[in-house]
Amino acid sequence: MNLSLFRAMMKLHGKTFISYGFGAAVYLLLAAWIYPQIAGFKEINKVMEQMPEGFLNAFGFEGGMPEDLSGFLAAEYYGLIFLLILMVYSIMTSTQLVSRLVDRGSLAYLLATPTSRTKVAMTQAIVLTLGLLLITFITFLAGVLGANWFAQDETFHFDRFVQINVLGFLLFFVVCSYSFFISCLMNDEKRALSISGAITVIFFMISLISKISQELDWLENFTLFTLYQPDEIARGTVEVLPISIWLTITGILFFILSIVVFRKRDLPL
Amino acid sequence: MSIVIDQLTKVFPSGKGIFDVSFEVGKGEVFGYLGPNGAGKSTTIRHLMGYMKPQKGQATINGLDCFKNSAEIQKKVGYLPGEIAFLEGMNGLEFLNLLAGMRGLKNFQRRDELIELFQFDVKTPIRKMSKGMKQKVGIVAAFMHDPDILILDEPTSGLDPLMQRQFIELILEEKKKGKTILMSSHSFSEIDRTCDRVGIIKDGKIVAIEDVHRLRSMQRKLFDITLRKEEDVQKLLQSGLDVTKSNRNQVQVAVQGDYDSFINVLANVEVDSLDVHTQTLEEIFMHYYDKRGEIK
Repeated sequence: MNLSLFRAMMKLHGKTFISYGFGAAVYLLLAAWIYPQIAGFKEINKVMEQMPEGFLNAFGFEGGMPEDLSGFLAAEYYGLIFLLILMVYSIMTSTQLVSRLVDRGSLAYLLATPTSRTKVAMTQAIVLTLGLLLITFITFLAGVLGANWFAQDETFHFDRFVQINVLGFLLFFVVCSYSFFISCLMNDEKRALSISGAITVIFFMISLISKISQELDWLENFTLFTLYQPDEIARGTVEVLPISIWLTITGILFFILSIVVFRKRDLPL
Repeated sequence: MSIVIDQLTKVFPSGKGIFDVSFEVGKGEVFGYLGPNGAGKSTTIRHLMGYMKPQKGQATINGLDCFKNSAEIQKKVGYLPGEIAFLEGMNGLEFLNLLAGMRGLKNFQRRDELIELFQFDVKTPIRKMSKGMKQKVGIVAAFMHDPDILILDEPTSGLDPLMQRQFIELILEEKKKGKTILMSSHSFSEIDRTCDRVGIIKDGKIVAIEDVHRLRSMQRKLFDITLRKEEDVQKLLQSGLDVTKSNRNQVQVAVQGDYDSFINVLANVEVDSLDVHTQTLEEIFMHYYDKRGEIK
């Protein structure tokens, strides 16, 4: 890693990290604030019973309204909004950190210094991961604070909420890693963006469709997102550790592969 | 030898590229690298910088392979890319500081001298900079660590004439210090004033490597002469000069090397006005290439 490059990159992208984080935090606080008001409202379960089961499953409300705050946040936020925000972050930032510099040619200046390609790529990978960590952490903090401020009387499974966040981070660690790999491979910024974007959106769509109907369950074997079921983690039915290990290893492998590819290839600078 | 390029070959999917390019630049030498756009100048330079891996052949700097040891080589090299693309969202000084940090540079005296020399506000945000200003930042980035070897891709593009002269002074100064310089260029006067030798590339192949003095003698100059009397036109036509055009009392004469006999002929006629056509470098080379083609 190169410290000067790291500082410059954090300065350039730091604002984006913070704004993603705050956007997420505001939403989460809002959800925590709303929860006590609808939790006591029995009618809502009746409304939900009217809805098609597949539809509820797809958005994490399997078996009706969750009975605790952590479950509600898992379904309301982590099942959809969280995924969308981090999908955008992973795809955009990984493209900007490598492919854009190649496409626009500014990498020529950075590589004209005694900092090797390996170090440059490693620094960019660290910036990407750190940004992801920051966003997830701000989100997590907002959830905890929201629970403390607005919903003290409600049940809040702190341990499960931590697991939801850790696993969410690791899922997107993998999304970042393959997007970064594609970014290291492509000369064209737009192409890198559309390939990693397409892969991720397809993963997301498959997971959504597979939940709608039981006949489509088999689809879940074809998407990374199956590994992340926040509503089930909230119910305490998921063995988190093996999934975490698997995600971590996959992510690290992709990052290593990215650096290897980036070191050996021709750069049109 | 500081820079050695040996049978360097790189063919792109389009069929373009560079083919068996070989030349050397000795320590303390200033080497001009010339050729039309798309001839392969930048591709050659990209190999020297380690951005591209040769398909065949090798490029070395100070005996080190340019692809395998690129990071090590950069310690002694200053590079000015042909295209200016800084990181957005910073100002010039922040960008220079980033590069200085990545170099581990501690002494900023040379940087400040250069900023002083080129007279620009280094704290201007990059997106608000003119092309010329960006070029100045690029020049400072290439020279600030006082490198032994300079690789400059069209260094004066975007600079106004005053700054171009300033830049030539800088090159001459560095040359005096014994720096090795490889620069590509379009401006003949720039090459003429700074370089010892010149390599000419066309369609990816080196067509000539010449001493700059010899190249100068190759240069053809066109003179537009307006004569006072129309009958003098005949005198010029019969004088054995290379008359390229004549129209009533106006004559265009091409002179290459032999200025004496040209002046002798002119002394016998009454000249109303005399204009020199400065041929662009491109024109000079096109002519040069043609001659070469005939010889082969």
